[in-house]
Amino acid sequence: MALSTIVSQRKQIKRKAPRGFLKRVFKRKKPQLRLEKSGDLLVRFHPFSGWEWGTGEVHLNCLLFVHRLAEESRTNACASKCRVINKEHVLAAAKKSRG
Amino acid sequence: MADHNPDSDSTPRTLLRRVLDTADPRTPRRPRSARAGSCALGTLMWLWNLRGTGLERLRARRALLETASPRKLSGQTRTIARGRSHGARSVGRSAHIQASGHLEEQTPRTLLKNILLTAPESSILMPESVVKPVPAPQAVQPSRQESSCGSLELQLPELEPPTTLAPGLLAPGRRKQRLRLSVFQQGVDQGLSLSQEPQGNADASSLTRSLNLTFATPLQPQSVQRPGLARRPPARRAVDVGAFLRDLRDTSLAPPNIVLEDTQPFSQPMVGSPNVYHSLPCTPHTGAEDAEQAAGRKTQSSGPGLQKNSPGKPAQFLAGEAEEVNAFALGFLSTSSGVSGEDEVEPLHDGVEEAEKKMEEEGVSVSEMEATGAQGPSRVEEAEGHTEVTEAEGSQGTAEADGPGASSGDEDASGRAASPESASSTPESLQARRHHQFLEPAPAPGAAVLSSEPAEPLLVRHPPRPRTTGPRPRQDPHKAGLSHYVKLFSFYAKMPMERKALEMVEKCLDKYFQHLCDDLEVFAAHAGRKTVKPEDLELLMRRQGLVTDQVSLHVLVERHLPLEYRQLLIPCAYSGNSVFPAQ
Repeated sequence: MALSTIVSQRKQIKRKAPRGFLKRVFKRKKPQLRLEKSGDLLVRFHPFSGWEWGTGEVHLNCLLFVHRLAEESRTNACASKCRVINKEHVLAAAKKSRG
Repeated sequence: MADHNPDSDSTPRTLLRRVLDTADPRTPRRPRSARAGSCALGTLMWLWNLRGTGLERLRARRALLETASPRKLSGQTRTIARGRSHGARSVGRSAHIQASGHLEEQTPRTLLKNILLTAPESSILMPESVVKPVPAPQAVQPSRQESSCGSLELQLPELEPPTTLAPGLLAPGRRKQRLRLSVFQQGVDQGLSLSQEPQGNADASSLTRSLNLTFATPLQPQSVQRPGLARRPPARRAVDVGAFLRDLRDTSLAPPNIVLEDTQPFSQPMVGSPNVYHSLPCTPHTGAEDAEQAAGRKTQSSGPGLQKNSPGKPAQFLAGEAEEVNAFALGFLSTSSGVSGEDEVEPLHDGVEEAEKKMEEEGVSVSEMEATGAQGPSRVEEAEGHTEVTEAEGSQGTAEADGPGASSGDEDASGRAASPESASSTPESLQARRHHQFLEPAPAPGAAVLSSEPAEPLLVRHPPRPRTTGPRPRQDPHKAGLSHYVKLFSFYAKMPMERKALEMVEKCLDKYFQHLCDDLEVFAAHAGRKTVKPEDLELLMRRQGLVTDQVSLHVLVERHLPLEYRQLLIPCAYSGNSVFPAQ
């Protein structure tokens, strides 16, 4: 499965998108909707022509969101000169992005 | 006639003689004779001038020109040659004047050709001695004549190409070959002439070369007229083999040292590995490592993990164990941060493979208690095994496997006592895995253990599994999925985080997913669809400001997603006129 790609980082994270999770969440929230393209994997061109078709972009969106949130939280923490990110920092960041 | 003037023109004279003897009075280039005559004169003077620079061939050329009219100029040529040999410019000039009238009968082309065909009589070395004394005094005088002869001189080269070395070949077909050959000769001669010009003395020029070099005249006129424009050939120095070898030796000294010392692709492991190895047997590094370790979460998770696995063990031992593991983890991290290859890369990989295999064998059935019980004797290895196993586990993948994986990992660790390095083989992936693994099994005791840890307590995933077994279906997978993003959050933050902060992140993510689904629904409905398509996603990202006119979706995909996803998401053309994914 998709493994961490960056070599030089201190900690490595799974880069695989939790496809099942995303689909499940989507289904729960909006059972009437369908997530596209997850099933049309007939063109088995690629060994990976499997899972992440429809949810790849959703996953990307989540990634970017988390990324922005983390950056913002880090900025807040640095601004308050704490070595640790507190929930206040995270809250502030969330409020800023989501209003 | 002065056949062999010892001082200088023995060679050209002999040539001239030969030419005269063999010269064909026919003049195939009659119409050109007039031009040839003037050109011949020009080249004659030019050769004369060039001789000042020490070019024998110029003299030879002049000789050729002089022989343009062998019948009438024979005597004159000889006089001219003699004059040259004696360094009498006036003779040359007179010869110039005289020759002009007599050159019309034979074209320089033929003459040159004949001369070229004849082999040189003198040795190659002969001209050197002859040439040297001559150039100096002659160099001055030609200047006057150069300008007048410039046009003439320039014209001659044009005529030269047609002439070839083939004796007596005047057929047009042959001429083509001669042309080609002569052009080549020209090139060769030019190169030689250029190299010789600055030298001032064409000492090394043999007669043949001098003959051949006659074709290089095209360059000469320019240099003679405007010395500044002359193309100076690069000064060619003989290769100093000694210096070269010395340089080789000097340079070769340095690399071997490096090569011998650093047999590994990365030298950093040398720094990191000692930490790794030392962390196991002794815990003095722990404190230092923990302090420096920003990823305190991992160490703490490993701590609580160990705690859980060996409840029967004294807290101190466990704490020490945790510390060891932490140190080990830290060691891993430090090594991983520096490097991806180490001396023990192979054994490391093998160890990891073993770990994975064993994990697969053991499956999920092993209970944690059993594993912890088995762990008793092999604490040290367990630390390694933990890391290994967890890492190998991580490679397996899922959250569910974490719990049983930990236990099986413990057993595996005990089974594999001597593979401390193996864990560090894939430090990066292993780190994540171990973190992942320890997250799940770490229960409330983790808190107690965490307090013992010097580093900041970090754990994230306490709530989901070990505490409650009730709302499993909904909460667990949901939290498990969220945990993935929470981990990503902490990774992007690059700073230690409080547990509460992580919980906050969870909530934010929850809300975010809600918003996301709503937006997607709206977009799909707007497009009159019931299925969410990638276009909706793109629109969403555009609204979020992630995708702009400058930054496209594909760019983001390439930046943030691993290659496998990139291949799936970005249409790419493949062989057979097919595009994947299909558009």
